Amino acid sequence: MIQTVEIFYVRNFDDTANIQGGYKITWSDNDNKTFVPLNGEGNRHYQEILEWVALGNTITDNGGGE
Amino acid sequence: MALTTLPTAAFATGSVGTSQLADGAVTTEKLVADVNFRNIIINGDMSIAQRGAGPSGAFASGQYIQGPDRYKIDISNMGNWKSSQSTDVPSGQGFNYSLKLDCDAADASPSAGDFIYLNQPIEGFNTASFKFGSSSAESLTLSFWVKSNKTGTYIVRFYDIDNQRALSQSYTISSASTWEKKTITISGDTVSGPNYDNGYAFAINWCLGAGTTYTSGTLNTSWNSVTNANQFVGQVNLADSTSNEWYVTGAQLEVGTSASDFEFLPYDVNLRRCQRYYFVINQSGANGGPLHPGRTNGSADINNIGVACPVPLRIGNPSVTIQSGTIMQVWANTFSMTSAGGGSVTSLVNTGSDSIRLMLNVNGFSGLSNGVAANWGPVISGMPVDAEL
Repeated sequence: MIQTVEIFYVRNFDDTANIQGGYKITWSDNDNKTFVPLNGEGNRHYQEILEWVALGNTITDNGGGE
Repeated sequence: MALTTLPTAAFATGSVGTSQLADGAVTTEKLVADVNFRNIIINGDMSIAQRGAGPSGAFASGQYIQGPDRYKIDISNMGNWKSSQSTDVPSGQGFNYSLKLDCDAADASPSAGDFIYLNQPIEGFNTASFKFGSSSAESLTLSFWVKSNKTGTYIVRFYDIDNQRALSQSYTISSASTWEKKTITISGDTVSGPNYDNGYAFAINWCLGAGTTYTSGTLNTSWNSVTNANQFVGQVNLADSTSNEWYVTGAQLEVGTSASDFEFLPYDVNLRRCQRYYFVINQSGANGGPLHPGRTNGSADINNIGVACPVPLRIGNPSVTIQSGTIMQVWANTFSMTSAGGGSVTSLVNTGSDSIRLMLNVNGFSGLSNGVAANWGPVISGMPVDAEL
């Protein structure tokens, strides 16, 4: 089951700013980290994130300050 | 000695034409063995197990199992189970593996909403031959070998995901711990059919137990909109003891009203069909595996990493997982280092569903020179790429 979801950031091509890269899922039943593209159409993990949010959970977004 | 069949030489060329054959004498069933890729189920012989043979630990609902590829478990509070690729197979049928589900924690008195079923999701592109949604809708035949210590009635559901319509049929396991072949034929759905696209369109569900929410009505044996109470009526509770186990192999879903012999595909073809949905970026570097080209971006990131896919994936935006304990390694100029704390995939560029190449960006490094060519790879263990339905 999903434990946390965080928006992940990446440096842009010019290495001048952080831009959103995707979602990072951590799981409650293992130590794996799953990375899901921002454009998640057709991606089953993206669908799981939507369902997880619909249950009242919140995606963490620290603006690239990790 | 009497001949039971006439040799080819007994017929003059052209002597047996259409007019010599009575209507219906040569049926589809007598020809169907020559139809390639007639099995809609992928990995029906359970021979491909990219996630490992197992047995697994307990799994969450919707999780693709450890053991044979392309199967997942949908479960709600119906005990705990372990899955594996087993070498217990029906004798003399050509199978080398089966899928085993082993009850690890029992649920002898399920609550109303509890259930468990084994599920093979089917992509819409693979359902065109059904001709559903038209007056030409084809009958489908599901055949499989099954074995369990628990005899009784079991339910299989045929599920049109796109239209939320379903049809259920029962089968009986008659002899405990004995391989039995089951064949189920259903009519086609003339009302609607799965979408012809790369989405989750259709499913075969082998039920292993369900509470009254799904069993209190009348079994739905014709195509109808899903009514929960009619889905799994009569199903035995295989979750009632940790001694219980269930095996299946030789699963084949085909168009027509009878089951043909199981269609054995070459191993490489079967593997490639599974890899449209899941493959692993193999461990690299110190482990001797392949590296993947990219470039450094700043001091900590490797961007534009090209990862070749074995086949075009179902989607161009799959998920990538860093498994527990995996780290990444990069070689850039004379520089070589491993990532701190496993590193991260920072983005994956959607390269389209027909692409055979992924583009990853990763980080977790330090001290890299900016803008130089780099070779990257995971070490310790591989990184799964998931485009499953």
